[in-house]
Amino acid sequence: MRGGMVWTVARKEMLSTVRDRRALISNLLIPLLVLPLVMLGLPLVMGGLFEREQEALTPIAVEERGALPDALREALIATNAELVFVDDALSTVRDDATPVGLVVPEAFEEALAGGVTPTVRILAKTGNMQSELASGKVRQGIEAYRQGIVAERLAGAGLDPSVLNPVATELRDASRPQERSSGQLAWIIPFFVAVWALAGGQMTAIDATAGEKERGTLEALLVAPVRRIEVVAGKFLATLATGVSAATMAILGIVLGGVLLQRVFVPRLGEAATEMVGVMGGTPNLDFGGFWLMLISAVLLAAAIAALLIAIATFARSFKEAQSYVAPLSFLLILPALALQFADLLDFGTSIYLIPIVNVMVLIDDVLRGSVGFVDVLATWGSMALVVALLLAFALHSFRRESVIFRT
Amino acid sequence: MIEAHGLVKRFGSTVAVDAVGFSVPPGTVFGLLGPNGAGKTTTLRILATLIAADAGTASVLGHDVARDAEAVRRSIGVVNGGMGLYDRLTGRETLRWFGDLYGMERAAIDARIERLSEILDLGETLDRRCGDFSTGMKQKIVIARAVIHDPPVLFFDEASSGLDVLARRALLDFARTYPSSQRAVIWSTHVMSEAEELCDRVGIVVGGRLIDEGAVAELRERADDAPNLEEAFFRLVRRAGLAGEVAA
Repeated sequence: MRGGMVWTVARKEMLSTVRDRRALISNLLIPLLVLPLVMLGLPLVMGGLFEREQEALTPIAVEERGALPDALREALIATNAELVFVDDALSTVRDDATPVGLVVPEAFEEALAGGVTPTVRILAKTGNMQSELASGKVRQGIEAYRQGIVAERLAGAGLDPSVLNPVATELRDASRPQERSSGQLAWIIPFFVAVWALAGGQMTAIDATAGEKERGTLEALLVAPVRRIEVVAGKFLATLATGVSAATMAILGIVLGGVLLQRVFVPRLGEAATEMVGVMGGTPNLDFGGFWLMLISAVLLAAAIAALLIAIATFARSFKEAQSYVAPLSFLLILPALALQFADLLDFGTSIYLIPIVNVMVLIDDVLRGSVGFVDVLATWGSMALVVALLLAFALHSFRRESVIFRT
Repeated sequence: MIEAHGLVKRFGSTVAVDAVGFSVPPGTVFGLLGPNGAGKTTTLRILATLIAADAGTASVLGHDVARDAEAVRRSIGVVNGGMGLYDRLTGRETLRWFGDLYGMERAAIDARIERLSEILDLGETLDRRCGDFSTGMKQKIVIARAVIHDPPVLFFDEASSGLDVLARRALLDFARTYPSSQRAVIWSTHVMSEAEELCDRVGIVVGGRLIDEGAVAELRERADDAPNLEEAFFRLVRRAGLAGEVAA
């Protein structure tokens, strides 16, 4: 295999991709500009909406089968609620006239005075966010009312309120600094590498394989004195480069988004937003070794995806057909990445490092959390290198098959 | 210059090329004449090293197509009707890229592009992206691409299909003037008038078999002094008992 010839093939594919405005926008600009807004702006917008809902005057349909005690009325009004007295609270909530309802049972105050526990019914639509938030306000008012009664009864019995809390608890964070600071990046980075290596690489891979067939350029390329192995290697290299570029842009986008939010938006929005940025973003705390471990792992992941794309897309006769072959790959990559969110709850065991693609995601997660093992690195890199080699061998085999190359 | 002996190619149970053999000396335009599906493209693909024959041998300039494919590829250029271009590359970039694939020096490539621009009147096609080209402009760059390395052997496979009358005329003129003492052309077509006008020798291919071969005048004579090549073609096909293949 001649390196110069591989580069010649790759150069043309990369030039072709760079000149494709759609590819530039979807692979470079969208991850860089739009992803930060989606990943970090959305929680802020949602947080703002929740806050607004909390501050808004919430109508509560109150059905009085028994009289509503004044103290409970005041506790509910204190949560920024407006009481609307109705005959049928259930219908009122069902018809969306109010987001929440309250049914005061018959002889409510008498029951309380007699030491019986009466049941107050809250009516809300589960699954309806506005209704759930409004029911939260009602529960908050009832809880304040309940605590008042408990305090009154304890005082009447001559007891100190501390009698209800005989044991105190204290929670301290025992995680490593890397674990604390990485936040959601521990799964977002491998997720983005996988997803954007696929999204970014697929246009180049399809254009370089099925696209060549559809345009009628493949035959011209194959009658030139370039070896099939050089053609496959060049197309793989170009796919890898565009995939890695897109993944890098996605990660840069998240980092830039985090910086912008912390410096520009958080100071304006206060503590709640700071907490949200911490949950969604985080700051990777990597040393030199960790950086290289993560970089090599990410490139291996992108390489496996690029080789898979070339191997699959070669079979297609047209761009559209190749897209339909490649589409299910998203699920193959997204599912393990999403499972990483629950890595703490799942016991993967050491064999996970032998499962290609999944192993890299777990390893990057380990690196970002600062708990990487030497054997795990060897197992991951070894199995990934093997998979890349096998997929490229398969792609080369396909490129040598007349039935694949002339399948038009 | 080009030799083919007993070439056989099967696709499953279908015999696409059945013991085809011919010889093309330098300075010749050799026509492969036959209906669509006769096996002309498959024969040319074997000669161009794109597919392997199941039996038989072939060579270009003494290089065996099976054993010395890379040397064969350096010696040939291929133009066919279905060939496309890279839409996002300009004509010049396309030609330079193929020059690179043939291992040419950049100065040699640029000199060759200038020469081809004069011969083929490439003009504005060189610095515009191929995606904006008309069919005729595309065909000029396809030809230039096929001969960027100045190959001694040129294959044309249904190369005039879809071209307007001017582009077709330019293509025929180019093919006619290409052969020399060091060069040869194989022109594959189903258009009788093209073969009659252009080819020094013609091989008639029907149902994967080469049923006759010779100069146009010889073929007409063998077909009971047929008035033209088209009539000679049908008479020879009927005589070979393959009229059904042509009708199909």
